Amino acid sequence: MKVEVKKQLEKEPKLWIVKLLSTLFVLSLIIWTSNSLEYHGIQESGVSIAKNILVGIVSPSTDLLINFKINGVPYLLLQTIAIAILGTIIGSIISVPFAFMCSANVVPKWISTLGTIIVAAIRTIPSFVYGLMFIRVTGPGAFAGVLTIGVVSIGMITKLYIEAIEDLDKNIIESLDVAGCTLVQKVRYGILPQLSTNFVSTAIYRFEINLKDATVLGLVGAGGIGAPLIFAMNSYRWKEVGAILIGLIILVIVVEYCSTRIRAKLARG
Amino acid sequence: MDTLKNLIIPKKIILNNGKEIQPPIPKLPFILVGLIVIVIASAELTDFSFEKIIKNGHQFTAILSAMIPPNWGYAKEVIKPLKETIQMSLLGSIVGSILAVPFAILASVNINHNKPLLLIIRFLLSLVRTLPTLIIALIATFIFDLGPFAGTIAIAIFTLGIVAKMIYEKIETVDMGPFEALEALGATKLKAFLSAIIPQILPSYLSNCLYCFEVNVRYAAILGYVGAGGIGLILNEKIGWREYDKVGMMLFMLFVTVVIIEYLSKYIRGKLR
Amino acid sequence: MRQPLGSNSIVIKNNLINIKVSISDFRHGGIILIKFENVDKVYPNGFKGLKNVSLEIKQGEFVAIIGLSGAGKSTLLRTINKMHDISNGTLTVNGQDVTKLRGKELRTFRRKIGMIFQSFNLITRISVIKNVLTSRVPELPSWKCILGLFSKEDKIAALEALDKVGILDKAYIRADQLSGGQQQRVALARTLAQNPEIILADEPVAALDPVTAKEVMNDFRRINKEMNISIIINIHHVDLALDYADRVIGIKAGEIIYDGPASDVDKETLTKIYGRDLTSEEVAGN
Repeated sequence: MKVEVKKQLEKEPKLWIVKLLSTLFVLSLIIWTSNSLEYHGIQESGVSIAKNILVGIVSPSTDLLINFKINGVPYLLLQTIAIAILGTIIGSIISVPFAFMCSANVVPKWISTLGTIIVAAIRTIPSFVYGLMFIRVTGPGAFAGVLTIGVVSIGMITKLYIEAIEDLDKNIIESLDVAGCTLVQKVRYGILPQLSTNFVSTAIYRFEINLKDATVLGLVGAGGIGAPLIFAMNSYRWKEVGAILIGLIILVIVVEYCSTRIRAKLARG
Repeated sequence: MDTLKNLIIPKKIILNNGKEIQPPIPKLPFILVGLIVIVIASAELTDFSFEKIIKNGHQFTAILSAMIPPNWGYAKEVIKPLKETIQMSLLGSIVGSILAVPFAILASVNINHNKPLLLIIRFLLSLVRTLPTLIIALIATFIFDLGPFAGTIAIAIFTLGIVAKMIYEKIETVDMGPFEALEALGATKLKAFLSAIIPQILPSYLSNCLYCFEVNVRYAAILGYVGAGGIGLILNEKIGWREYDKVGMMLFMLFVTVVIIEYLSKYIRGKLR
Repeated sequence: MRQPLGSNSIVIKNNLINIKVSISDFRHGGIILIKFENVDKVYPNGFKGLKNVSLEIKQGEFVAIIGLSGAGKSTLLRTINKMHDISNGTLTVNGQDVTKLRGKELRTFRRKIGMIFQSFNLITRISVIKNVLTSRVPELPSWKCILGLFSKEDKIAALEALDKVGILDKAYIRADQLSGGQQQRVALARTLAQNPEIILADEPVAALDPVTAKEVMNDFRRINKEMNISIIINIHHVDLALDYADRVIGIKAGEIIYDGPASDVDKETLTKIYGRDLTSEEVAGN
């Protein structure tokens, strides 16, 4: 073996230590976390429950599914959609000032740090906490759901808005400046056009997620399809559970499809 | 009918040199009208009323102020459920991330040429992503009994759905050149995959797993509500008992934990690049 | 003399016949390495990639294949290691009927044939030496592949290959931090680490600037002369082809139009191969 080759061999970075340590680390994490989890074993009823749910999905309660009255699945789905729509709109609007407050290229550093902390705090509070708090304001029902979704959306929407704001192309604003525009005109013609399509796309993306959250809020008593779901499950009325789950799945699939199409159109312009 | 047409279709513009331009029909008014209709309908469906907000809004702020200052003495009691929450999301994220790999490989168009199998797997993954995590957790509590185990399962399933999608999208856009080179020098398809494709995907895979973990910690806090363990359970209890100072403490500690985890995660993900 | 692939009695017979018949090929040892006999390649959509191709390439030759894009250069090259299948005719490489090769036999066969690609086909995120070590992958058990556990002998062989192409000092640098010419050399090292009998190169210098291209061609020539490895190159830089190769094969529309020494290629031949007169810039490969 040539001398140079031998020298290179010795120079080899000892990566295997890092790999070994990280694997051991992950393994120890797994062991630590599984320690506290008591595995009760699958409940005897567990398997039959799983089976029943599947049966319920395959042969749903058509009564509930096709029923167009106020207790039927379609109406509840509609209500859930309404909750998600209003919640998303409210969230999108409220997020705008928050987002500007957090953007380092628009406001001074201390404001943006403060803003980021506030938004982080808003984001961390679990959604059902908001739900319970708003129920005190509006009473139980769909309205509480709207407000909850509105506030919960702030977290993600603000984050995406901030990315859009920080990506702003300063040159366009500069050229408007040079042409003699006022601040309002600069915002209207320079900033808004760049941001608006992005904001709308963000809102639609969040709408999908909010729809899923809205279905769940019913568990808290905030309207939508969640409440009947949990009642049905607690009463072991699997056919109804099946009907509700099917309605849910169809809803989310349809919405996902439409929203992908719309967002693609927005992106292509 | 004609007047309607005149209203909607803009007039032709005639330039000085005689050329005619027909501006297209503006879409914005239609969209705005449609939006307003939807908003009004939604408000009806949900009993939205500004009155209520103004009248009872103070209740919200009252609760908020009751949370501050938080009950510092309560901190000790929070640690155990908080630890449980972190453990749940950690284990769930790890299990979900690892199990996502075989699913993702089977869902990649350029690796799996068995069309029906591909579609089934993709459909299953979509299903898992569309069902809300809380509902999966709810069902899990029925099957596996209340407690953090059910929550872990729910998080694992949810993580699997997201990570698998991310992996197969990456696999489909990966550079197949090195794979071809490896086949040309005599490696089996499997070995070529392990040696040529995995190194390309690894960094973003790890990055995504870490991001999922971040998100899952916050999710895990919610899962407690359906009894799937973690901090959600007592949070719910204390709200019910209106012990808002304790609630404030729990939220504060949750907040600190999440901030630390997010910071660490950003740091590691930056290193992976 | 190198051990031929899958030796059997037919090869020995060929050896005898060839040594008797072609004394001018004595320098190449006279062993016919690659033999095309009336080979056709028809694509599923009916397009004829290769038409009635017959040629023989002997061990140790440096052959350049030239022709228009889409004329069939790539197809011809890739049939040799069965990356593409042939539709008709016989293709024998070192006595083995390529069409009959499958599975393990095919992989063992490919181990001895190196391939160089226009876009290098390196794994850009990992280090140079790891790229060269991938040539060892066929012999490694799968679990070792994931963990990247190569033996010391493997690593020494990889380093020596890097040394042969002159980039030993770059061994632990990430591949995407090297220039194009250096990356192609890494690919060359990867191929050399296989100890191949044949190197197939598909437009190896197309993505490189003229100076670097010449350096890489010099490497090919060195490998051919010093290690007696047969080299078959697809190239559209006509002047490089004429400068470095001993033998030139011209392809037009899937058929071999010219097959002879590089020194005999003149303007007329080029016009026949390319279908029209080439300007001096085109000859230089621009």
